[in-house]
Amino acid sequence: MSGTESVAFDTPQREQRADTLAMWVFIGSEAMLFGGIFLVFLIAHIDSGTAFAAASKHLSLPLGTFNTAVLITSSFTMALAHTLALQRRWRATVWALAATSLLGICFLVVKGIEYSREISEGLAPVLGLQFRYAGPDPKHAEFFFGLYFAMTSLHALHLIGGIIVIAGMIALWRTANPDNRLHRVEAIGLYWHFVDVVWVFMFPVLYLINR
Amino acid sequence: MTNAAMQGTYLGEGSGPRAWLLTTDHKRVAWLYLISLTGFFFLGGAMAVLMRIELATPAGDLVSDDGYNRLFSLHGIIMVWFFLVPSIPATLGNFLLPLMIGARDLAFPRLNLASWYVFIFGSLFALFSVVAGGVDTGWTFYTPLSTLYANGWVSTAAFGVFIVGFSTIMTGINFIVTVHTLRAPGLTWFRLPIFVWTLYATSLVMVLATPVLAASLILIVLERVFGIGIFNPDLGGAPLLFQHLFWFYSHPAVYIMILPGMGVVSEVLPCFSRRPLFGYKAVAISSMAIAVFGFLVWGHHMFVSGQSAYAGVVFSFLSFCVAIPSAIKVFNWSLTLRKGEISFETPMLYALFFLALFTFGGLAGLFLAALAVDVHLHDTYFVIAHFHYIMVGGMVTAYMAGLHFWWPKMTGRMYSETAGRIAATVTFVGFNLTFFPQYMLGFNGMPRRYHTYPPEFQFWHVLSSAGAVVLAVGYLMPLFYLGLSLFRGARAPDNPWHATGLEWQTSSPPPPHNFKTMPVVTRPAYAYDMKGLEHERFSPYREEAAE
Amino acid sequence: MSELRKLTFGYLGLLALLALTVASSFFDLGGFNVALNLAIAAVKAALIAMMFMHLTGTLPRLVVAAAGLWLVLLFGLTLIGR
Repeated sequence: MSGTESVAFDTPQREQRADTLAMWVFIGSEAMLFGGIFLVFLIAHIDSGTAFAAASKHLSLPLGTFNTAVLITSSFTMALAHTLALQRRWRATVWALAATSLLGICFLVVKGIEYSREISEGLAPVLGLQFRYAGPDPKHAEFFFGLYFAMTSLHALHLIGGIIVIAGMIALWRTANPDNRLHRVEAIGLYWHFVDVVWVFMFPVLYLINR
Repeated sequence: MTNAAMQGTYLGEGSGPRAWLLTTDHKRVAWLYLISLTGFFFLGGAMAVLMRIELATPAGDLVSDDGYNRLFSLHGIIMVWFFLVPSIPATLGNFLLPLMIGARDLAFPRLNLASWYVFIFGSLFALFSVVAGGVDTGWTFYTPLSTLYANGWVSTAAFGVFIVGFSTIMTGINFIVTVHTLRAPGLTWFRLPIFVWTLYATSLVMVLATPVLAASLILIVLERVFGIGIFNPDLGGAPLLFQHLFWFYSHPAVYIMILPGMGVVSEVLPCFSRRPLFGYKAVAISSMAIAVFGFLVWGHHMFVSGQSAYAGVVFSFLSFCVAIPSAIKVFNWSLTLRKGEISFETPMLYALFFLALFTFGGLAGLFLAALAVDVHLHDTYFVIAHFHYIMVGGMVTAYMAGLHFWWPKMTGRMYSETAGRIAATVTFVGFNLTFFPQYMLGFNGMPRRYHTYPPEFQFWHVLSSAGAVVLAVGYLMPLFYLGLSLFRGARAPDNPWHATGLEWQTSSPPPPHNFKTMPVVTRPAYAYDMKGLEHERFSPYREEAAE
Repeated sequence: MSELRKLTFGYLGLLALLALTVASSFFDLGGFNVALNLAIAAVKAALIAMMFMHLTGTLPRLVVAAAGLWLVLLFGLTLIGR
């Protein structure tokens, strides 16, 4: 029973397999969460395709593309952190984790820039702000922007959660023993990659509607 | 409960608030849930009693229209999310799952404790909305009422339920991983007790369905708090979408509620007929089938909502199909009784009542699955009678069966068998008196969620309200005799019912890590017919002590 | 360090697919645009799952397959008749 965090497991290896399985089941449940919201978007898109295409053009393609690249890079650094942790290269692991969270913060900053731009252009039908849309079918364009803010803010919330967990891990790094360190890097890694996968789908769905 | 007698068991390992509120022992976490859930059951029940008192007369004289709306909304929210969904899994499941598979604890004990705290936080958060003035949308939160027009504390209640959903998901993940990774040597999947199979199937549903509820509730909160118009037609939104998301969860949710009850009954019936469960594999596989099929039928709540006719036909057909695995189980349970040596201990009484009431409620479900019939029965008392037959007549009855069956194991005490049998019979009579008239009411057109009605309906309403009083008595009784047993009950032996199952191979109550030596499994489950084992016919309440 | 090389190739592949999906959106292929974008997104997701998340072992793959199937059920049955 030594070396395991839970009293139920005989060996750390068995516990590791259980931890991994648990993370994947959790990711499966998160997929259903985002799936539900994507479904709402899909139905709205089917109903008002042209209005959505026109509205989508008002999103910043350069910023969105840049952000996607940023998040993909953060997944790369996170995978790097895992590889380094497997090799017990702890200092390098911490650097990789820090880089991951910094890239995540970069994503959030860019998102903030996009939001403020949209708000100033009057394209944010949230918090009672006035919606000013010059194109055709403003009602359905407003629905598009409502969904855009709902989906991206939900994603951003998940990203913030991941960043906080990484920060916490780094803060508690010294007190954790090597097995725990590896476990935690693996667990947060799976979560981080999943948040990236969600964005990989969200980006084309929101930004690339028939330019 | 003398401390000396509890030494060496999990109950003797430390007392006082810290030992209970910071425990990671799955058996103690089960008690935390048991006490909280009992509280919620009686709170939701009190609201039901108020509703039934109001409904005894045709005039709306006890509460205002708005007051009645708030009563039934909170009755539904509390009963569904703060009692039924967690009930058997979080109490009996938490206590028994590791024992039944020969493990020292669940895979993630701290996650288990955390799930209880999340549950308490979420439920109290939602209950704050009661104190603040209540919610009037019904437990179903339909848009656009809930997003645009409701004048209650919708966001608070919805967010509280959203938080409790995480507790469900945490429990589900814990159970799934536990069953996959912690089975004792020799315990293959098809040697597992059916209770474990149903907990596993329930956990799959918990993990796959609850997030979609979370999505629907988040969108409501986003619309109300941040003004993002998802379900608002004025802003181009679509209110019907909420119903799709909501029922995608809420229909499988009813299988979260009933599957564990089916598992309990599958343990009790073989034990008190001294026969193996008939058709073990069929029962195991049909449990999984119910979990899967349960996801395919949600549109039957929306036949008159404006969804397309094609969708209605498909969902109607699938709803007929989902009855098949349940029917398979009913047949197998019935055949288990055949040529058995049946005795009517309290758990068995509840299990037999379950068989009758679940079947009856399930048949009513077939009425509702028929598209054309549902047009007339939708939103009437027929629906209410149907789901109460399943949820109360089925689920709560099974919960009582399980509570009484495993009470000696959990507490090391026997309760008064006479009191138990009387209470069980009182609930059966009270239940039928309460809910059978509601079938008649619904059939004759009495709508649900109304507290005033034409005088023609009063006869059935009075019967129903009288039944509610009887039912309440039946449910209050166990509080007394079970509570009393903790202090005055006879000491329970390791295996008072001479049942099969690993949980009975350890002491009553179990030691802190469940087993002194880890068991190895060589037999199938329900080996009541195997000769030479110690499952000789014995009841602690009979004169002839066969030891 | 071949593990690093594998990760780098995966990373570059993801960036290339990103470029591809953005570029393709400038050509009007009608309804095919959406399908193409989703297909590319699916490939990227698979790449991330296999290479970064190390999706190996029957049980985790079964979990992912189940989640995928359930999403199909959610989308499919909601869209009947539209």
